[in-house]
Formats: sequence, C-alpha cells, structure tokens
Amino acid sequence: MFPPPVRRAALCASLLLQVGAVVVMWLSARAEAGPAVRETIAAAVTAATPDEQREMILSLKATPSPEVVSWLDKWKEGAIFIYQDDEGKATALLLTGSQDAADSYATLRLSDGAPMCAADGSPIRINPKAVDFADTDSGLRRAMKEVADLAALADADPDKRIRAIQDSAIGQNSDKLPALEAVRLLEKNPKALRALEESMAIIRLNSPEPEQRITACNTLGRLHSIAARDMIKSMATETDAATDKDTRTAANHALSAIDSHIATINALGTAFRGLSLGSVLLVVAIGLAITFGLMGIINMAHGELIAVGAYTTYIIQNVFAAGLKLSPFGVSISIPGLNLHSGGNLYFAVALPASFIAAALVGLLLERTVIRFLYRRPLESLLATWGISLVLQQLFRLIFGANNVQVTSPLWLSGNWTVNDVVFGWNRVFVIVFAAAIIAATWLVINKTPLGLLIRAVMQNRNMAACMGIRTERVNMMTFGFGCGLAGLAGAFLSQIGNVGPSLGQNYIVDAFMTVVVGGVGNILGTVISALGIGVADQTLQQYLGNPVTGKILVLAAIILFLQWRPAGLFVTRSRSLD
Amino acid sequence: MSAKPFLLAAEGLNKSFDGFQAINDLSFYLDEGELRTVIGPNGAGKTTFLDLITGRTAPDNGSLVWDDGKHDLLKLNEYEIYRLGIGRKFQTPTVYNDHSVTENLLLSLAGSRGIWHSLFGKITRDQCERVAEILTIINLTGHAHRKAGTLAHGQKQWLEIGMLLAQDARLLLVDEPAAGMTDEETHRTGELLLSLAGKHTIVVIEHDMAFVRQISRGRKVTVLHQGHVLCEGPVDQIQNDERVIEVYLGRKSKAA
Amino acid sequence: MTTTPVSSRVHGPILFLAAVFLVVVMPALNCYGLIADFTLNLWGKYLCYGIMAVAIDLLWGYTGLLCLGQALFFSLGGYMMGMHLMLMIGKLGQYKSDLPDFMVFLGHSQLPGFWQPFYSFPFTLAMVFLVPGLLALVFGFLAFRSRIKGVYFSILTQALTYGAALLFFRNDLLVGGNNGFTDFRTLLGSDLRIATTQRWLYIATALLLVAVVAGCKWLTKSRFGLIQRAIRDSENRVLFSGYATANFKLFIFVASAMIAAAAGALYVPQVGIINPSEMTPEKSLEAVVWVALGGRGSLYGPVLGAVSVNALKSWASRAYPDMWLLILGGSFVLVVMFMPKGIIGIPAQIAGLAARLRRRRAEVAPDPAPATQMTDS
Repeated sequence: MFPPPVRRAALCASLLLQVGAVVVMWLSARAEAGPAVRETIAAAVTAATPDEQREMILSLKATPSPEVVSWLDKWKEGAIFIYQDDEGKATALLLTGSQDAADSYATLRLSDGAPMCAADGSPIRINPKAVDFADTDSGLRRAMKEVADLAALADADPDKRIRAIQDSAIGQNSDKLPALEAVRLLEKNPKALRALEESMAIIRLNSPEPEQRITACNTLGRLHSIAARDMIKSMATETDAATDKDTRTAANHALSAIDSHIATINALGTAFRGLSLGSVLLVVAIGLAITFGLMGIINMAHGELIAVGAYTTYIIQNVFAAGLKLSPFGVSISIPGLNLHSGGNLYFAVALPASFIAAALVGLLLERTVIRFLYRRPLESLLATWGISLVLQQLFRLIFGANNVQVTSPLWLSGNWTVNDVVFGWNRVFVIVFAAAIIAATWLVINKTPLGLLIRAVMQNRNMAACMGIRTERVNMMTFGFGCGLAGLAGAFLSQIGNVGPSLGQNYIVDAFMTVVVGGVGNILGTVISALGIGVADQTLQQYLGNPVTGKILVLAAIILFLQWRPAGLFVTRSRSLD
Repeated sequence: MSAKPFLLAAEGLNKSFDGFQAINDLSFYLDEGELRTVIGPNGAGKTTFLDLITGRTAPDNGSLVWDDGKHDLLKLNEYEIYRLGIGRKFQTPTVYNDHSVTENLLLSLAGSRGIWHSLFGKITRDQCERVAEILTIINLTGHAHRKAGTLAHGQKQWLEIGMLLAQDARLLLVDEPAAGMTDEETHRTGELLLSLAGKHTIVVIEHDMAFVRQISRGRKVTVLHQGHVLCEGPVDQIQNDERVIEVYLGRKSKAA
Repeated sequence: MTTTPVSSRVHGPILFLAAVFLVVVMPALNCYGLIADFTLNLWGKYLCYGIMAVAIDLLWGYTGLLCLGQALFFSLGGYMMGMHLMLMIGKLGQYKSDLPDFMVFLGHSQLPGFWQPFYSFPFTLAMVFLVPGLLALVFGFLAFRSRIKGVYFSILTQALTYGAALLFFRNDLLVGGNNGFTDFRTLLGSDLRIATTQRWLYIATALLLVAVVAGCKWLTKSRFGLIQRAIRDSENRVLFSGYATANFKLFIFVASAMIAAAAGALYVPQVGIINPSEMTPEKSLEAVVWVALGGRGSLYGPVLGAVSVNALKSWASRAYPDMWLLILGGSFVLVVMFMPKGIIGIPAQIAGLAARLRRRRAEVAPDPAPATQMTDS
C-alpha cells in the first residue's frame, strides 16, 4: 500500500469528503500526486480572481502533502514569477541557474518543471526585478495556512506532527475536530495520541453541549493539560453557575488536578535545576575541597586555575578547527589548526585531560615558587594567591584579549528531554553527570590509589608521616597539583555551559569557598552535600522570590546563620589539639 | 562521703569523639583545699576531663557542679567558669609569646575583665607589687621584660603557673607541669605546688611517678583508665594495686 | 610597665612633623598655588584610603582578624554621605526635580521614606557611623559567638561583602543601582566643585587621619591593646584567662567598621562618585594589600602603604595600563613572601640580616633565627 504519510493524507482527504469536499478531485490527485499539485498551484497562481485562487488552493486540502506546503511557501516568499507572453497569456515560472550579465535567470514552468521557451524555441530568461512575482493577500494566506496545517498533521516527523496537533487547538475551532478525529484513527505514536486527545478536548470545551464540555474537562483533568488551564478557567467563568452546575464542578476538578500537577512539575523542575546548579558548584569547589579542605591553603587563584582550564579548552577547540592567532605582549603567535571536520565533538575528549594537565602544571609552578613557603601561614597564603590571581587575570587579558572568547559546545547539549512536562535540558543533565564523574574519580584517587593513601596520611598528621619516611614535600606538591587539575577540569566544563573570559574564575570563587566551608573543611562528602544543598536552596528561593539576586543574597545570609548552628560545617573533623 | 561540702563534683560524665569513648561514666569528687594528683596511661582521658571542667568541650551527658552545687558548670562557657575561680595550666605551655613576661602576668591578674576597664583602668601599685611577688616565686624576675616566646620551655611552664597564681584561683588545674623540665626544675615545681596546697585547691595531672610521689605525700591519688576512675588512694597503695599494675605494665587490657 | 617599641620612640618627632605637614603645610602650599588643586584632591583620596588601612590593621595586625569586608563599611559610610549629597543637589539635577535624578529615571514621584531624614546633615553624620556600626555589630556578634576565626572569618566577610555588592547593584534598593550616586553639588552650603571646599575636605581628612592614628595608638597602648594582641596570638589562652574574647573582638570590629565608614564619608565628596563597585571583595583585598605592603601591626605602616600603593597606581595605570595589575599582583606576592613586616619592617629586617651575617662571621650562633622573629631590634 502507501507509505504512512500518504496514507495519512489519504485519510484526511477521505474525511473531507464527509464534510463536503469533492471526491473526484481527491481521486485524481491521488493518482498522480506530483504533477497534479504543481499544475493546480500553477493554475492558482495565474487564476483570474482572488476567489478562484482561494478555491483552487483549498482544493489542495485533499492532498495535504509536504510538497504542497513547500510550493505554497515558495509562493508566499515571492519565488514564483508570472510571465506574460505577447498574447497576454500568463505562465507561472520558477527561476533557475545563475544570474547573467543582464541580471536575468533561466526559467522553468511551475506546472511541469520544463524549461520555458518562447515561441521560437529560445529559452526565456527573465530579470526578477522586471517581472511580477505571484502575490498573496490575507485571504490566500489563510487558505494556504489551512492546507499547511492539515499537511502538518500528516507530517512524517512525530515532533512536527505533535506540534501541529497542539496548534490545532488554538482558537478552539470545532471545524478542526473531524480532521483530528480522522488522524487519531491512524496515529500510533503515544505522545501524538495524547496530544490529539488533549487538543480535541480543548476544542470541545467550547462545545455548546454541556455533556461534551464535562467530558472534555474530565479528559483534560486526567491528562493534566497545562495548555488547557486558562481555557478551562474561562469556560468555567462563562458558564452560568445556576444552570450548569455540573460543568462548573467538572471544570474545578480538572483545574485542581492540573494545578497540583503544575506544582509537582515546578517542584521537580526546581529540584532538577537546583541539582544542576549544585553540580556546577560541586565541580568548581571540588578542587578547593582538596587544596583548602585537605591542605588548608587558601588559594584565591583557584578561580584563575579554572580559567586556565577553560582557555585550554578554547585552544584545543581551535587547534581541532582552523587554528588560532594570539598576540601576547605584542608578539604574535600562530597556532596551526588540524581542520578536522569531526573536531566539533571530538575535541572535548582531548580538552578534558589537556585542561587538567595545564591547570595542574600551573598549580605545581605556584606550589613550588610561592605556596610551599606559606603552608603554616594560611592568611598570608590567602594574600599571596590573591596577588597571583591578579597577575593571572591580567595575563589572560594580554594573551586572549579582555573580551570573552567563543567556545562552542556540542550541538546535542542544547537539546532537552521532556518527561511528563518536566523539561530536562541536556546541558543540565551533562552538568550532573560530569559532576558525578568527577566526584567518583576524586573518590577513587583519594581512597584507592597509593597517592591517595599518601595524601590522607600527610593531611592527617604531617609530622608523623614525615617520620614514617613519606616525602611530605612531594605529597604536598602532588596534592596541590591534583586539586588544581580538578579546577582545570571545572574550567573545561564551565566553558561548555557559559562564557570564557578573564574574570571567569572570579564569578565562582566566593561560592566555591562558601561551599567548602559549609561542607566542613577536610571532608569531601561534606562538600558534595553542601554543594547540592546550596544549589537546591538557591533555586528554590529563586522560584519563590522570582529573583535570582535576592535568592543568592538570602542563601549567603542562610549560610552565615547555618554556621551559627554548626560552626565547623556539616561534617566536623574533630581534633584534640589545643588550637 | 564527708560532711564537708565538695568543691567540685562530677557524676556520670560521658564523652565520645567519633565513637572513641574518651570519658566513660566518670565520677570525681574534690574537697576544698585538696591537692589531688591524677595519673593514668596515655588516652586515659585526663586532659579531656580537664577540658570538660573548664568548658572547652561539652560532655555527652553527666553532671558537673561547683561549690557544693551552687553552679552548674555545664551551663557556663569558658570565661564564666574561669571567673568562678577555676584556672588551668595547659599541657603544652600556653603563654602570650609576643608579650613580655610582666605583661603576661598583668593580663592574668585577678580583677575586672570588662572592656571598659581594659580601656581606662589604671595599673595600681598593688598590682605591680603582686606581679613582682609572683616573678620572685616563679624565679623569672631577671626576665621580666623578655618576650615570653623567647623563654626556655621550663621557664614557660613556670610563667604559666605564675599566671595561675596571678589569677588567685580557688581551683588550679595543672596539666603535666613537669613535662620537659630538668630534674631540678621538676623538683622546684613540686615545691611550688606544695607551697600553694593550703591556699588553693589543686588538681595535678602527671606522668612522672617520682614527681607524683613528691607532691602527693600520702594525699589521695586518682588513677584514670579508659575514661573511668580505676582506683583512688595514697600513692603507695595505688602502686601495689593489681589493676593499676596491669594497666601500666600493659598486660592484656580489658575489652576496648 | 608596657614596653614601647624602640622605633616609635625614635620616630616620634618625625611623625609629628609628618602630621603637621599633612594637616597644615600641604593645604597652605595649595593656598599659594604651589600644590595643584588636583594633587591635593588626589592626596585627600589617598588619606581616606590611609584611614581605611588603619582600620584594617586594627583588626588584622593587632587582633589577627583578616576582614575582607572593610570596603563594604567604607562604601556604606560613603553611601550615607552620598544620600545627603544627592538630596542637596535639589532642582539642579538634569530632571530639575527635587528627587535625585535616578529616581525620576526609574519613575518615582515621591521620595522614599528612608531618604527623608537624610536632608539633615547631623542625621547623615550619625548614620555614617550607625549603619556600618550596626551591620558590624550584628555580623560580628554572629561570627564571634560561633567562634568563627582565621581564614573562615575572612571567607565569611568576603561573602558578606559580595552579597552586599549584589544587593546594591539592584535598582529596587533605591540607592542608584550600578550607577550609584554622582554629580554632587553642595555640602553644608559650599559648592563642592570649587577649590576652597575641596581644600577644607582635605584638611578634614588629614585631621581625621591624625586623630584615628592617635586614637589607635592610645588604644593599642592600653590594657585593651594587650588583650587584643593576646587574642591574636593565642585566643584560647585569653578565653581561659577569663576574658570574654568575643566581646573584645566585637568591640574592635565595630570600631574598625566605623573608622572605615568615616573615611568613606569623606571620600565621596572628594571623589564625587560612589557606586557598588567600591564595595566588592576585591576592593577589600586591595586595601589589605596596602596594609601588608606598608607593614601590619604598626599604625603608620598602613598609611604609608595606602599612600604609596595608590600613588604607584595613579602613575602606573597611566604609564603602563597593561602592566599595572601585573605590577600590583607581583609586588604583593613578593611582599608577602619576603617582607612579612612590610615597608615599616625593612630597617628591622636589614638589621636582622646584618646581625645574622655578623654572627655567622663570628661563628657563634649555630642556628640563625628566621627573619620573622626579628622584630624590635
């Protein structure tokens, strides 16, 4: 038999028969779909009166195929031209080929796609500026839209179909019901079926018969239709309370079902956004949980190490593409590109280890030159690293410019996944997965590797570890490098979801420190819980206050109050020493 | 139970750190004017016990009352407990390193601890004399203007004891006063503590058995083990106690 | 009984002369045209920063509390003064309205209630001290009660400042949003744009600086100062000596906030603008740099640091705009690492080094003391 779209179109058409369309036309159209469509449109373009044109377009409702829509779109765009020969006979033409010296193009007849020739057989070239294009008026456009809507209901792409189904409910026009009804018999996709049910119920809300309206209310309530909420509401206020009590009751039931559904969605959405914000905090703070939490170094340059990771990602991306030109201190450096076509998705796999290594190297350099002299002076290490952060920020400006640089994230990150009306953006899902992976990796390194064992030994009791023959200096160095590498990973990660600029790190540093402090210094699990807690709290407050800044300020205030309750953070590392 | 009221009474104290039971159902009674020595192996909970008394840590449960039950120490914080007249010398000498010896003592002198007084109060002649007196007692007169941080370890210990004297406390809690001292210094410290015994109530925590014998002189000694009072009595009796020998010689210990 | 550092005894007269120079000589020279109005104005700004630096040092150098919120108190003082100055513009603003321009711009037709009393200068003056003082009191009470100290205190004050800056960036707080206040006209009836007014403002700043330094000198010499430094070195010991350290810290924290606020209030009419970018954590850190560079734990060091860093900044940010931050950041790292006592400590450091060399040559002392411990030699 026919491929599904055609069958669907056929069914639409058969339905139209019942509403009074001409069966013959449909049959003939079906017999020879392509040329017939072109001919009908060519005829419509050159028809004498607008009424005739309208009628001919509406006749296309019998064959609502994507092809019809594409030709009608061409018409609307003004890409169909009308050529009048010497006898005044009008022909609908399409332009083809390229522009010549006289700004003219070769032409094709719309009706059959053959080249248009003059009486003498020479091809006709026309200058689009010199001839009329097929115009449309609002009546025609409306007719075209009707055809297009019908075609969309039969679209092969389920997403487009569903959108068309949802759109058909707009205006609650009962004329559309038969078409929807017909489509429903054929529809297999459960989402589309649900949309159909919803759209039809929405349209029926407008029905003059109370039973219909009540059924519609019940259906919509059961479907938790958010789209129908306002319409049910207005229907309920319009109905006469005295005479139509049942409708009103049904409407109220439906409304409360929908409202509770909306509340659930909002709560889930907030939790999800909170979780993803928490994951961002976590990724940003995890390196700090090591350098600050375990080692006690206040590294104010942590933010800049994140930026190092982000810029490394930027460089890698450009190396995979067309290369990069930088001009630090007036010296121009040109990094050749590999021009990989698949680089768009591949580069990130290389950028991750690269940014880890780059940031870890910068961290090691800092540790060797500055920080190792300040292990016992935490306040001084705060100040010195702030100085370093100023220097690094300025270096970024000098090398990469003061403006943000462009890091393109893979296309799939911009999609989303909707489950039961809750939208899960892929970028947020990515954030959560990435955070989970980093935590897992950190946990493995700390708990399952020889390095981790050394780290834990040295961090618990430096002197004892030194006595046991552990080279604490080296362990310090490695630990700090590891923490900084994690900052680099955070940078690669942030480059995917936000801007990369010299002050990238500054935007996160305060939050990162707060996260570690709240979690309890020296406890990675505490950092995880505090990051997620702060993220969810922030998003919840934002949801209720409708204002991100106030939410953030309240979170800061809440943290200060929280520390009243637990001054050492969520998880206290108890010690019996005096200070 | 004596008819005399207890100066300090601890009953049923418990304190655990992350599952480690540092203090385990500890009860301890102290009479006014006593010089009590507390001994016990490492980890017996001696220092933690002082922490509980001075409000540095709060017990999980139990009671701790002062001056015949007039004050509940568990409801007070560190400086309030101090103001009741409980002074403490820490295990590692804790003095103000950047201050001179004289200043260390001045800050410890009994008197108002308010901000206003600290701003506008004058140092009286009496106070100067008292400081000079203490300097003589702790044998630091010659170092009066040296920074405390530059003193030798034993001198710091003395300075800290001097700070306790300056405060004129009713109860002195002295944690390992002889640690890091030469034998002669240790002996002198013992003499010093003995000379204070009548005027103040003193609790001394110590490891050094020679020192313990020197200062206890038939007075009551308390042995702590695993956060619990193992036994109490004169030093000779203690040293012959089966349980104490077992604990100290590290024979098979009871279930941890 | 208290020991007086040798340096302050020797430098006493020099410091007195410096005070006279700042308060009397500079304005006099300006009066006769020997110092440009611009220069004097610049120095007024430096001295405001100097006062803030002393406030930071009172906390950090003497009490061991590294507060990253001093820029917040400074700007709050500035904002209080700014509100008064905004009202003094009157109908001279762009919109010819009694309301400050930004309010007209935001569509307000009435002065909000909390702005009303700022028409009064005495009220404004009271608020300059009360608002930052109260904030410091509440925050300090919470922080010190729960024994937050060391780096945690720094991080929390940083967060406080960050939160406040976010708040002040908002338009609906009705303090000018991110543009803040500017375009001031008069203060106490004198035109702010003429040299005489600016000269008097400069004199007031210099006098405040001298008063603050003298006051702090007295404070640190008192028994309070002893306790302050004792808290810095061993807070637990002070607690076990019966002092309610939280109250002492709170007192000094509030005092320091008020000093910074007073400096901010004098800063605003001299610079002619105040906006939320003045109260960011970075500004606080920058001010901490001045203190570290000048020498913390002394009272002149911070002033010296504030003036020299800002003079350097004025010059370098014009001469080497690209390099300025590299210079600042780099010199900061170097100072922290190699000059823990700052500029003020250099003579002592040199003396210490010389002593070490001598000793080494004489081969007497086997273990040379680290430089940090050579303070008063």
